[in-house]
Amino acid sequence: MAEHHTASDCKHKASSNAGGSVSGNGRPNSPAGCSGGGLSGGLTQPAGWQSLLSFTILFLAWLAGFSSRLFAVIRFESIIHEFDPWFNYRSTHHLTTNGFYEFLNWFDERAWYPLGRIVGGTVYPGLMVTAGLIHYVLNLLHVTVHIRDVCVFLAPVFSGLTAISTFLLTRELWNQGAGLLAACFIAIVPGYISRSVAGSFDNEGIAIFALQFTYYLWVKSVKTGSVFWAIGCCLSYFYMVSAWGGYVFIINLIPLHVFVLLLMQRYSRRLYIAYSTFYIVGLVLSMQIPFVGFQPIRTSEHMAAAGVFALLQAYAFLQYLKDRLTRQEFQTLFFLGVSLAAGVVFLTVIYLTYTGYIAPWSGRFYSLWDTGYAKIHIPIIASVSEHQPTTWVSFFFDLHILVCTFPAGLWFCIKNINDERVFVALYAISAVYFAGVMVRLMLTLTPVVCMLSAIAFSSVFEHYLGDDLKRENPPAEDSSDEDDKRNQGNLYDKAGKVRKHVSEQDRPEEGLGPNIRSIVTMLMLMLLMMFAVHCTWVTSNAYSSPSVVLASYNHDGSRNILDDFREAYYWLRQNTDEHARVMSWWDYGYQIAGMANRTTLVDNNTWNNSHIALVGKAMSSNESAAYEIMKSLDVDYVLIIFGGVIGYSGDDINKFLWMVRIAEGEHPKDIRESDYFTPQGEFRVDKAGSPTLLNCLMYKMSYYRFGEMQLDFRTPPGFDRTRNAEIGNKDIRLKHLEEAFTSEHWLVRIYRVKKQENRQTLDHKLRNIAAKQKYTSKKTAKRKRGHIKNKLALKKGKKLNKKSV
Amino acid sequence: MLAEKVEQMMEWSSRRSVIRMNGDKFRRFVKAPPRNYSVIVMFTALQPQRQCSVCRQANEEYQVLANSWRYSSAFSNKLFFTVVDYDEGADVFQQLNMNSAPTFMHFPAKGKPKRADTFDLQRIGFASEQLAKWIADRTDVQIRVFRPPNYSGTIALALLVSLVGGLLYLRRNNLEFIYNKTGWAMAALCVVFAMTSGQMWNHIRGPPYAHKNPQNGQVSYIHGSSQAQFVAESHIILLLNAAITMGMVLLNEAATSKGDVGKRRIICLVGLGLVVFFFSFLLSIFRSKYHGYPYSFLIK
Repeated sequence: MAEHHTASDCKHKASSNAGGSVSGNGRPNSPAGCSGGGLSGGLTQPAGWQSLLSFTILFLAWLAGFSSRLFAVIRFESIIHEFDPWFNYRSTHHLTTNGFYEFLNWFDERAWYPLGRIVGGTVYPGLMVTAGLIHYVLNLLHVTVHIRDVCVFLAPVFSGLTAISTFLLTRELWNQGAGLLAACFIAIVPGYISRSVAGSFDNEGIAIFALQFTYYLWVKSVKTGSVFWAIGCCLSYFYMVSAWGGYVFIINLIPLHVFVLLLMQRYSRRLYIAYSTFYIVGLVLSMQIPFVGFQPIRTSEHMAAAGVFALLQAYAFLQYLKDRLTRQEFQTLFFLGVSLAAGVVFLTVIYLTYTGYIAPWSGRFYSLWDTGYAKIHIPIIASVSEHQPTTWVSFFFDLHILVCTFPAGLWFCIKNINDERVFVALYAISAVYFAGVMVRLMLTLTPVVCMLSAIAFSSVFEHYLGDDLKRENPPAEDSSDEDDKRNQGNLYDKAGKVRKHVSEQDRPEEGLGPNIRSIVTMLMLMLLMMFAVHCTWVTSNAYSSPSVVLASYNHDGSRNILDDFREAYYWLRQNTDEHARVMSWWDYGYQIAGMANRTTLVDNNTWNNSHIALVGKAMSSNESAAYEIMKSLDVDYVLIIFGGVIGYSGDDINKFLWMVRIAEGEHPKDIRESDYFTPQGEFRVDKAGSPTLLNCLMYKMSYYRFGEMQLDFRTPPGFDRTRNAEIGNKDIRLKHLEEAFTSEHWLVRIYRVKKQENRQTLDHKLRNIAAKQKYTSKKTAKRKRGHIKNKLALKKGKKLNKKSV
Repeated sequence: MLAEKVEQMMEWSSRRSVIRMNGDKFRRFVKAPPRNYSVIVMFTALQPQRQCSVCRQANEEYQVLANSWRYSSAFSNKLFFTVVDYDEGADVFQQLNMNSAPTFMHFPAKGKPKRADTFDLQRIGFASEQLAKWIADRTDVQIRVFRPPNYSGTIALALLVSLVGGLLYLRRNNLEFIYNKTGWAMAALCVVFAMTSGQMWNHIRGPPYAHKNPQNGQVSYIHGSSQAQFVAESHIILLLNAAITMGMVLLNEAATSKGDVGKRRIICLVGLGLVVFFFSFLLSIFRSKYHGYPYSFLIK
């Protein structure tokens, strides 16, 4: 048994190499370290050493994960640096300032003007409550920290908790070595870092931890059949429901696991207790979240869980009858009973859906099944880059070597199947399907890829490192019996088989040779080293570039900071009325509300398509028509993003066609997408561009005064660097707006909407002139109306008559 | 005269939703005045020798739209759907200076066709819903597209269930094959390889299989951009992933299986070679697509 223990030490060493991003020269250290560990283990307390090593590795994984997420904070500063999270921060600030109940009842009149927005009942409060609670506890302990810093660092802190929960889950599925390896993978893998860098204060930052922890508790429930673990699973599920809409993945995967276990005839009392407890308590807890409400019993996304629950009850009842019937009678009745129950459940769900009691799949979920649905019917969903399908480059970019090795781990799990490995197999297959349909769901695939890759690597390391120690420790055989007895309680229930397997193959395994083992181990470690440097490079170059602060690099490697966004938002905050209304495309709504503290018309919570279409129509129309819309919406300022000076490709001209499409969806008579293309079907901003485009409000605001600007002596004035074209209309005049602010690199441009007083003034002057004339004529008339003069006038009239005749 | 023309069009329309036209009929009923009805004309080439596959697809969509109009409660003599096939009306193509198919044109009840009366097929596509939107824009006639229910999915599912049920019934005495772990593992890995190589992206975006350079005829299997991929490319990546996975499995097999030491040593080296070599190859392809990526392994 001593060799088994020392094998664990080697696995841990390998894990720490992978997670710590150290050099690839870990191989020469392994034998010495492992030998020392082995000797110590044999002499003193092996369990203690193992625990200490696990703790140290998990701590280092947490530290590595936290550190690699700090690029953005170190380069720029500690801010919320994406578009969406600004609303989360503003909500959290409201929570910490006004208290929990005020947060729950919050009606935000500064969003979606003039509609406003009910916030408390339309957000998942888990993120805000978590940050608020941490802030409260820290200040209770007199650690004075601003809520903004709590929000910025929440996701990196929770990445450590995710590593720990992944370790626990993988340990339940395979063994402790694989668990530690999985923890190291998930700490630094780009697929998870992309949504959990410092400053990305978003639901996914804490939800992946809740996801993994719920799965861990579910696996414990199934293995033990204990109500304790099932209730723990429900509480974790409750936390997940409060944090993210992706909880639907949990409430469909767990019943799928139960259903497949029933199909595999692996029913057990443990399974019955686990799922019955989970479903009932989890259902009741999830309905406590205001945003969820009665959805668990009224929407199709939740019907699979209810159906499996009913089926499980029928199955258990039939099992109960087993003791009271003969064998032959039971088999017939059992088969018919189960089939009948399944059919009844299925037809019941169909009937309830048809009658409207159960709502059909919502647009975003439905587009995961019908992959062409979103593009045709919901332009807003199709316009978000996160909702695009996934190429193989995205898989490799976010997962690297893991995308090639996790199928091997899946193979090992299915070849050594048991109840909990059924779960991870289903988890892998469903997650990889959804990740293929929508690139954003790479986030839910990443944990299971880390787990299965860890199983594959751990299996290889276990075989190619363990045998070396066996040869190096022949004297330890004397204490094998004692070690076996002592450690039996801690070992996985399959350990006995493994031990026998190893002992049976003592002689043949020795023959593989130390040279081959060394080569295999070295090359595997090189692959893991490449994984580590890939993760760091991707995190540094692709996932640590905030959308708020841009950076460009000179030839000598120095960095130029382009801070136009914050410059503009600060201008709005300082120079405009506190209740000014700012119109912009919805991408910037949360930032305007959060950084500038101003009222917005539309924002990133794209819940009202008509209102967004109205803003899109204003941007797409000519200036007069747009002015009417802005007057009706009571707009004070218009903010646009213009990338023509610095070549920023995410600007509003490049998003303009989506504005047109969304506007056309609601106002097909006024806005037609075809009007903005040339007769040849091109979208052009130069002279050959469509007259409708060249006269619309967005074009005029983007290129106002740009025609006079010459960026480079080799290009003409008015050359747009993003579209690589000289603009067609250089002499733009604005009638109803005036330029209020343009940032340093022209990235953000703000226009003030002129009020109607100007026109009234003109009218007034005109009236004055008219009045004066009338007054003059009146005086003249009075003079003429004297009696004597009147007679003379009559005489003159007579003469005139004669002349006319 | 006008009443006779309308009556004739209604008679033809009652027989077929889409009225077939040759040169004479086209000139008399579509071009010549007087006319108080709108006509939608699809110029197409449906004969197999013309090899216009997109014409066939457009024709199917056009039929769906015409049937929706013909059998709707709002059907009237204001609007008619017609088709001019190149083999029946080549003179019409010449007369209108038409040199591409399929093309949709609207001939308004009053006046001559304008630029917007030609459907922008290149940009919008030929889905029935898009055509209906265009027609609503040109004629004020709102057509609600009604697609006949697609029973092929249901039939395929019923067939599959029957096949599986029949198979299970025939082999009800020996259901061991269901418990074959290798078979289930193979199936699971097929799903995983399909997804990770981007087959779903291929299904949604419909890219070409490969790209042939028009100048020199050289075939390129790898798309130059990291945002897109060819079907051939995804097949290559699928095989590479499968090779690496097989290498990992062989490494494990070599260490755990019983048998000849030399044979197991060879299996071990083969597995290691598969992992290292094909991962290097995969990395080099990724590097060629993702410009600026600095790392490589054995293959540059």
